[in-house]
Amino acid sequence: MKLPAHRITLDWVEIRIGDEVTPLEIDVTPTVIVAGAIATRDFMPVHHDRDYAKTQGASDIFMNILSDTAYCSRFLTDWAGSNAMVRRVAIRLGVPMFPGRKLVYTGTVVGREQRDAEGVVKVEFRATNDLGDHLVGTAEIGFPTVVIS
Amino acid sequence: MTEQDLDDRLAALIGQPMGSRETSQAPDPVNQPMIRHWAAAFEDWNPVYTDPDWAAKSRFGEIVAPPLMLQTWTMAIPKIAGIAERGGSPVEAEGTAALSILDEAGFVGTLATNSEFEILRYLRLGDVISAATTIESISPEKQTRLGAGRFVTWVTTYTDESGDVVGRQRFRILKFRPDGVPERAISSR
Repeated sequence: MKLPAHRITLDWVEIRIGDEVTPLEIDVTPTVIVAGAIATRDFMPVHHDRDYAKTQGASDIFMNILSDTAYCSRFLTDWAGSNAMVRRVAIRLGVPMFPGRKLVYTGTVVGREQRDAEGVVKVEFRATNDLGDHLVGTAEIGFPTVVIS
Repeated sequence: MTEQDLDDRLAALIGQPMGSRETSQAPDPVNQPMIRHWAAAFEDWNPVYTDPDWAAKSRFGEIVAPPLMLQTWTMAIPKIAGIAERGGSPVEAEGTAALSILDEAGFVGTLATNSEFEILRYLRLGDVISAATTIESISPEKQTRLGAGRFVTWVTTYTDESGDVVGRQRFRILKFRPDGVPERAISSR
């Protein structure tokens, strides 16, 4: 297994407005959707039972919102590093995420400010699939302003 | 029911608890097995979640839970038998007054539109989390691409065993009168 980038935390003073957040691409299979639903303790059948999902007007099972936000935090800290703290995530939901497609998170740094003992970076991001925007959002990430180890 | 009656009934719900219980406590303290399961499901190998040696040297000084796992700790223990018959509800229906009033008024469609997390501190192993959810706002009737609807926002405040707030979550849904519902307008959470 390759060593993830987030073992190193970005240096807040070097982050600039306009910086790209490293994209995160997920091959969304039925297993990905079911594993995410159960790991977040969401047992709604639309997230694991295709026949049931069809009775609800969907063409297939679809990703639950707690998985959407779980991937948001992975996307942000894979880029920012393990000493970065996700302080705020706000998403607006769009098209559903069905299996058999790719979900791609992309984002850009849009702001930075010193707040208490942290350097806070604001990011605008979206996650898209073949149908369009699955979600669009903003996040705030807190970086230590004193370098730790 | 007139529009004014509906407005009055909905206005009375602002600040009221969502569901029958004011507060729900997590069935288990924040724990490593559930964190590891979560990390594996999302392939999130941030070492502060699962590597004690790494976490000890991090700003946190110990293992912490993924921040957006916050809601997972207080999710109800599901009653699997009959879940489909209950419309997917993991537990026996807990009357959510706002939603039933809107259903009765014809706003039977439900579409989740927004989710927002505010994280005050990361959770540590052993934290016992409680959640209290209140209705924050209900919008006036608006025309949407799905039909006439009202946006309902609730806010959940998460506290630790000392009663200190560790995070908040806002969740917004559109309750709408369906007129030709496209596929995406499906109940989701």
